[in-house]
This record gives sequence, structure tokens and C-alpha cells, in this order.
Amino acid sequence: MGTKMADFGSPQKLSGVPPPEGMGGGRCSEISTELIRSLTELQELEAVYERLCGEEKVVERELDALLEQQNTIESKVVTLHRMGPNLQLIEGDAKQLAGMITFTCNLAENVSSKVRQLDLAKNRLYQAIQRADDILDLKFCMDGVQTALRNEDYEQAAAHIHRYLCLDKSVIELSRQGKEGSMIDANLKLLQEAEQRLKAIVTEKFAIATKEGDLPQVERFFKIFPLLGLHEEGLSKFSEYLCKQVASKAEENLLLVLGTDMSDRRAAVIFADTLTLLFEGIARIVETHQPIVETYYGPGRLYTLIKYLQVECDRQVEKVVDKFIKQRDYHQQFRHVQNSLMRNSTTEKREPRELDPILTEVTLMNARSELYLRFLRKRISSDFEVGDSMASEEVKQEHQKCLDKLLNNCLLSCTMQELIGFYITMEEYFMRETVNKAVALDTYEKGQLTSSMVDDVFYIVKKCIGRALSSSSIDCLCAMINLATTELESDFRDVLCNKLRMGFPATTLQDIQRGVTSAVNIMHSSLQQGKFDTKGIESTDEAKLSFLVGSHIELCQNNISIIKKVLLGSSDCTKLFSQGIGGEQAQAKFDSCLSDLAAVSSKFRDLLQEGLTELNSTAIKPQVQPWINTFLSVSHNIEEEEFNDYEANDPWVQQFILNLEQQMAEFKASLSPVIYDSLTGLMTSLIAVELERVVLKSTFNRLGGLQFDKELRSLIAYLTTVTTWTIRDKFARLSQMATILNLERVTEILDYWGANSGPLTWRLTPAEVRQVLALRMDFRSEDIKRLRL
Amino acid sequence: MSMEDYDFLFKIVLIGNAGVGKTCLVRRFTQGLFPPGQGATIGVDFMIKTVEINGEKVKLQIWDTAGQERFRSITQSYYRSANALILTYDITCEESFRCLPEWLREIEQYASNKVITVLVGNKIDLAERREVSQQRAEEFSEAQDMYYLETSAKESDNVEKLFLDLACRLISEARQNTLVNNVSSPLPGEGKSISYLTCCNFN
Repeated sequence: MGTKMADFGSPQKLSGVPPPEGMGGGRCSEISTELIRSLTELQELEAVYERLCGEEKVVERELDALLEQQNTIESKVVTLHRMGPNLQLIEGDAKQLAGMITFTCNLAENVSSKVRQLDLAKNRLYQAIQRADDILDLKFCMDGVQTALRNEDYEQAAAHIHRYLCLDKSVIELSRQGKEGSMIDANLKLLQEAEQRLKAIVTEKFAIATKEGDLPQVERFFKIFPLLGLHEEGLSKFSEYLCKQVASKAEENLLLVLGTDMSDRRAAVIFADTLTLLFEGIARIVETHQPIVETYYGPGRLYTLIKYLQVECDRQVEKVVDKFIKQRDYHQQFRHVQNSLMRNSTTEKREPRELDPILTEVTLMNARSELYLRFLRKRISSDFEVGDSMASEEVKQEHQKCLDKLLNNCLLSCTMQELIGFYITMEEYFMRETVNKAVALDTYEKGQLTSSMVDDVFYIVKKCIGRALSSSSIDCLCAMINLATTELESDFRDVLCNKLRMGFPATTLQDIQRGVTSAVNIMHSSLQQGKFDTKGIESTDEAKLSFLVGSHIELCQNNISIIKKVLLGSSDCTKLFSQGIGGEQAQAKFDSCLSDLAAVSSKFRDLLQEGLTELNSTAIKPQVQPWINTFLSVSHNIEEEEFNDYEANDPWVQQFILNLEQQMAEFKASLSPVIYDSLTGLMTSLIAVELERVVLKSTFNRLGGLQFDKELRSLIAYLTTVTTWTIRDKFARLSQMATILNLERVTEILDYWGANSGPLTWRLTPAEVRQVLALRMDFRSEDIKRLRL
Repeated sequence: MSMEDYDFLFKIVLIGNAGVGKTCLVRRFTQGLFPPGQGATIGVDFMIKTVEINGEKVKLQIWDTAGQERFRSITQSYYRSANALILTYDITCEESFRCLPEWLREIEQYASNKVITVLVGNKIDLAERREVSQQRAEEFSEAQDMYYLETSAKESDNVEKLFLDLACRLISEARQNTLVNNVSSPLPGEGKSISYLTCCNFN
């Protein structure tokens, strides 16, 4: 029974899960007939029955669902039936198509192979024709050369040879193997003989034409060389001819130079002119013959021609420069200058002005050379460019390298670099010595803010840099800018420094300057001339000297920026860069050197500030201090009567203001506005500090405080009118002190202090407030102590 | 300081006999190239490379000078504004080493007394042709109180190190200078422009 129950139990559990749809139809009932038969209990039977009923219902539902689908399925089947014949059709079509494609394919392959064969045949045919033509040409050439040579028609003969040389060598080889081999062989021999003969004739005729200077004949044979495959030889022979022309012309010119009268207008630059003539001659040759070379030798050959020409150019340049060095004593002059530039040198200094013409001439020579080299570079590169339009990058670079090598290593370049090297040293000497002179000859005209020195010095510096610029050499220009920077920053700065110090007799400052001999020399010489023999004269006069230097420095700054602007804006300079001289870094180099020069300006500004501070503390302070000190002798512990008296006869401030007024007027007359401003700024600060010092040494009563307040107000009012910026801030502490000294009672301070201060910001510390309060005789110290600040 | 984005700017000038490899050192450092068959430098070449050292941008202005005698007056004019000089010789060329005292005299005469000088023996890739021993060079540089380094521009040995070490030393030198300046010479009430900045100021 237990097992039955178990058997029974399990299907019952299963029946709880409804059979999945669509599958239920294919499944028998879970309850087998045997199981039903074996059941005896009614209760069990009923249960089974019930379950069967349930199952039946499920089956019925499934059947219904299936029956519902019948229509759709049927219609689908009908469609399928209809498609059947169509599919068969498609299959047939596809098979047919495949057949056609295969057929076409075969056909195409057949056709193309035939075309290929045809093409090959055509090519062979062409080759055959070509070869026949070549053989015919060969024969024609053989005949033609003989005739042409007989008729001395060398162009024709050369054209035949050229044709023969252009023939495919293998063709000739093949022709020899043919039936008529022996005949062709003989003809070929004749042709080669003719070629050799022609070469010999052309060379000989060319030589004769060269000798006779018969230009049309020279050009005639020059054109024949490339036809014979003798490009290199033709160019070398032709340039030989051209070089001879250059040489004879140059010799003529040099003789003319040696005979030139020293009074001639161009005598000072005669060597530069000679070089110019030489360069112009060569440039003209290049100009006139470039078309022939291009036409008959093809592009890219100009380099070879110029390479040969440059050798002659170098030879002639050497001669001219040798003569220049000898006649102008160039090396001697350089050595002399070099010795003089050595510090502590004892050599007698050469008058710098004497160097002027030679420096100008050298820069002119270099400028001409640069122009000429630039011309060559332009011509050769554009010729290479045409020739290399199809060439690889490597070939182009190789050509560029050749060009650079030619122009950079030619004797002309080296010679000029050498001359410029000497030039820079001499120009440096010229600049330094002339600047020294300008400093020594410094004159000051009354009523002017500056003396002649600064203008002179900057005129010289500008001139030297300008001359270096006119050499067209960026390196030369940069070097001169550097040297000018050095000159201004060290030697000239020392001069200014020393002049500043000279203004202060009281100065105890040690001379921190490095021992720059030239500056010291000037100082000595100027002292000996009595130039600065102002010691013992009133300080204002000495101070004036310093004001002067102050204005100088300001002027220097202006001048430096002017030089910078002028250089940047000069057409020569822009021209130099636009032509790309000195490579792409030229501009960067120039900018860097120039910015160093501009930086000198800021160093001068520091110097000026330093100088003014010194001037203030050593020259102005001693003068202003006594004026302020008289404050101490004026009692501020006064009665009504004295107060009224003060009103009528001012004891201190009016005189002080008068003194200041005088001083300021002097400043204003002898100083530039900028320096006047900074100096008055420094002076007002000084007054504020000094006045505070004496006030703290004085004693006051109520009326005295009032008096001081009045005095301070008039002082501030005056100073406000003579200075451009507000000075109230500088006098804030003093004003606050006056406020304190003006109080009725000690405790009144609390109305202004702390929370009651309102817009007032106290500049005095509580301790200082107490200190000032204590200056009032009538305030009790206990009250002051008791204050809570 | 100008708009340019850097913290320090130093000028380095390379000097030494012709053909010892100054241009190659500069090219190797600035462009990573070793161009064979380098022609002689004409006048002065100018390169800029900005490097970063400890997070600070250092702009190096490198002036590569011509070694040939005829350019001497041009190259000398650059000494004074240089923050550092790289004195180069060729370890395979005794002559270039023998000329060093002459170069030192030039430095003495033209350069600022604050300049840092580095001695560089180049071309150590050609060790089999060495003519100047390392010891000799070291002794020489020690006697002259110079920093010494051997390099190969071709193999890129020590080239970076040379320039970067130099930049480091220049930075610390510049720092020291500002410190000294700030302590010893402040102008009352004036924020004095710091000296290394002025010397580095590019406009």
C-alpha cells in the first residue's frame, strides 16, 4: 500500500505542472490503465477520475488550438505548391547563366592572349623598324660625316656623330653579326675614326679661336662639344677662355688702381671698387653665357662653369687683396691696434680717426663680395632646380652640398672672413678710443639738461654698428653689437658711475668698480684738466654735475632703444634678412644680440636709481637737514601772545618752504622731468623722516600743537604743488602726530582710536602714540599710562 | 620676464680648436642628429633647446662658434655674455689638447669672471686612436678648476649629461646669486630686479 501511495503520489505532483503547449498533444496520460484496474478504493478512483477529467480538458484545449492553426498552415502549403514550378525555372536559368559565363570567360581569355601576341608582334616590329632605321642612320651618318667633314661643316658632322653616339650599342653589335657584317664593320671603323678626327679638329679649332679671341668661333665650337659627349671638356675649355678674359680685365683694373691719384674722389675705396669691377665682370659673363650653356649643355651645368670661373676669381681677389693689404698697411695697422687693446699696453695709441677710411673700405669690400656670392648662389640653385626637378632627394642634397662647399670654401670667402676678423678688432678699437675721447672732451653748456658726451658716445656707437651692418655680414654685425654692449655696459657705465660719485664730496663709498683702465685714465686726465676741480665749491654745484649724469643715464636708455628701433627698422637690415644671408638663424642671432644691448638700458636704470639714492643721502640730506633742524630752535611751548606773534612772523616753516622752493627750482631747471620726479620723491621721503625725528625731540603745549599742525599743513600744501604724485601718504605719520599734539585732553585720543577711528588708518603704533602724547608738557604721564590702547 | 614660457635662460658658448666636434655635439643635443661630413662652421651658429629640470623649464641658448683662427674676433665677442663655456678638444688629437691653455687665456681675458667652464674631450668612439689619456685631461681640468667630461657625439655618449648637468649647475649658481643679491644690496623701498633675471631677460 505504501508503494502504491508512493506511485500515485508522484504523478500527482507532476500533474501540477501544465504540459508545455504544443507538446501536450503527443503525450499519453500519466495514469496507465493498469493503475486504474488495480485501484479498489472508491476514493482513489474518484481522485483518478477527476485527474483524468482534468487531463481531458487540457487535451481538448490543445486540440482546439491546433485546429485553429489549420487554416494558416493550409494556406502556407498552397503557397509552397505554387512556388514549386517557379523554383524549377530559376534552377534552369541559373545553370544557363553559369554556362554563359564560362563561355564568355574562355572567349575573353582567348581574345586577350591573341592581343598579347599581337602586341608583342607589334613591339618586335617597331624594334625591327627602329633597328632598320638605326642601321640606315648609321649608314647615313657614315656618309654624312665624311661629306660634312670634307665641307668643314662641323656642326653637321657633330650632329651625325651625336646621332651615332645616341644609337643603341647592342644594335650596332647585332648589325655586325648580320649578313653585311663586314661592310658595317668597315663603316663603323670609319665612323669612329671620323669621331676622333672631329674631336681633334674641334679641340684644335677651339684653341685657335680662343687664342684669337674670336668669340663667334669660340661659341661655335663650344656648342659642338656636347654633341660629341664632351660636356665636361667643353665647359672647362670654355671657362678657360672666359677666365683669360677675366684675368686680363682684372690686371688692367689693378694697374689703374696703382696709378690712381690719392686725391681721386674714389681713392679711399679704390680696392672695393676694383673688387666690384671684378665681380661685375664675372657676373656679366655668367649672365651672357648662361643661355648657351643651358641650351646646349642642358640645365644643371652652370655649377661646373662657375666652379671653373671661381678659381680665376679667387686668383684675382688674392691679387687685389694682397695689394690692398700692402698699400693700406692693413696687417700693420691691425697689429698696432691689437697691441693697444691689450690692457696695460704701453704702445702709443693710434688716432682712431685715421682708421675710419680703411674700416669703411673693408666693409664695402665685404658687402660687394656678399652680393657677388649671393648672385652665384641664386643662379646655381635655380639652375640645379630645373635640372633636378625629377631627381631624388639625395641628388638634390648632394648638389646643395656641392654648392655650399664651393661658395663657403672658396678663397674669396676665406679672404673676406679674414679681413672682417681684423676689421672687427679695429672697429672695436675705433669705438672704444673714440668713446674715450668723447668722454674726455665732454662739454656742458649752460641751460641744457645734458652735455655733449652722451650724444657723442651714442653717435659713435651707432656709427660703428651701422658700419658693421653695411658689411652685409650678419656675424660681423652681431659681433659689433656684442662689443657695443660690452663697451656701454662696462667701460662707459664706469664712466657714468664715476661721474656720479664725483658729485658727492662726502662719499666714502669704496670704488667697487673693476679696474677698467680706460675709465680710470679719463678720470685722471679730466682731473688734471681741472674739469672736475669743483671740490670745495658749494654742494649744489657738485650736485648739479650728478644731476647731469642722471640725465645722461636717462638719455642713454633712450638712445639704446633708439638704436634698437633704428636697426630693426633699417632697410639695410631688413634687406639682409629678406635675402636670407647667414642662414635661417640669422634673425635669431641678431635678435638675441640686440636684446642683450637693450638689456644694458635696464642696467643703466639700476645705476640711475642707485645714483639718485646716493645723491639724496649725500648731497641733499646735508642741505635739508639743517633747515629742518631749525625747527628745534623754535619753541612749541607757547602762550596765546606768542602764538599770535608766530601768525604774523612765521618762525620756521615759511623759510623752510622758501629754501625748498629754491632747491626745487634748481632741480627742475637742470633735470629731466623723469629724474626730477624720482628725485623729488626721494626728497619728500627724506623730509618726512627728518621732520619726524625733530618733532620727537621737541616739546609742545596745546597752542604749540596747533602751531605745528598749521606748519605741517602749509608744508604739505606746498609739497603737493611741486610734486606730481600725492605726498599725503608719505606725511601720514606726521599728520597723525599733529592730530595727537592738537588734542584737548589725553582721553580725547580714544575718540579717534580703535572702534572710533572711522576712515582713519593709524600708522603709529600704540607705543608711538604714547610717545607723542608725552611730548605735550601739559599732559600728565599717569593719564597717558592709564590709557587703554 | 617676457611672454615666453621658461623659468631660466642660459647662454652656453662652445669653443675649441677647429674640427674637434663642437657642431656635432650641439646637433646631437638639439636635434638628435650626427650629420657625417659636417663642414666647418662659419662665424657662429645659434640653437635653442628648452629642457625641463626638476619641473623647471630651462631654455638653453647654445652658441656654436667656428674654431678657425680667422673667426676669432667674432667668437670672442660672445664670451662676455655667456653663462657657461664648453671648451672642447678632440681626444684623438694631441694638438687640440695642447691648445687648451691658449683658450683658457682667452676665457680669462674676455669672459665674465662668473662664467662656468666645462672641459670636454670629444670623439671617445675613436678610442683606438686616442692620443690624450683620460688621466692627463682630468689632471689638467683639476688644476684649472674645471668640470671634465668625455663625450662621443657620434655614439651620443654623455652628450645629454653634459648639457643637463651644466644646466643644473647654472640653476644652482643663479639661485645662489639671487640669494646673495637679496641679502647684500637691497635698495630701500625698491624691489630690485633680481640679477640673474636681468641677465637672462630676453626682452
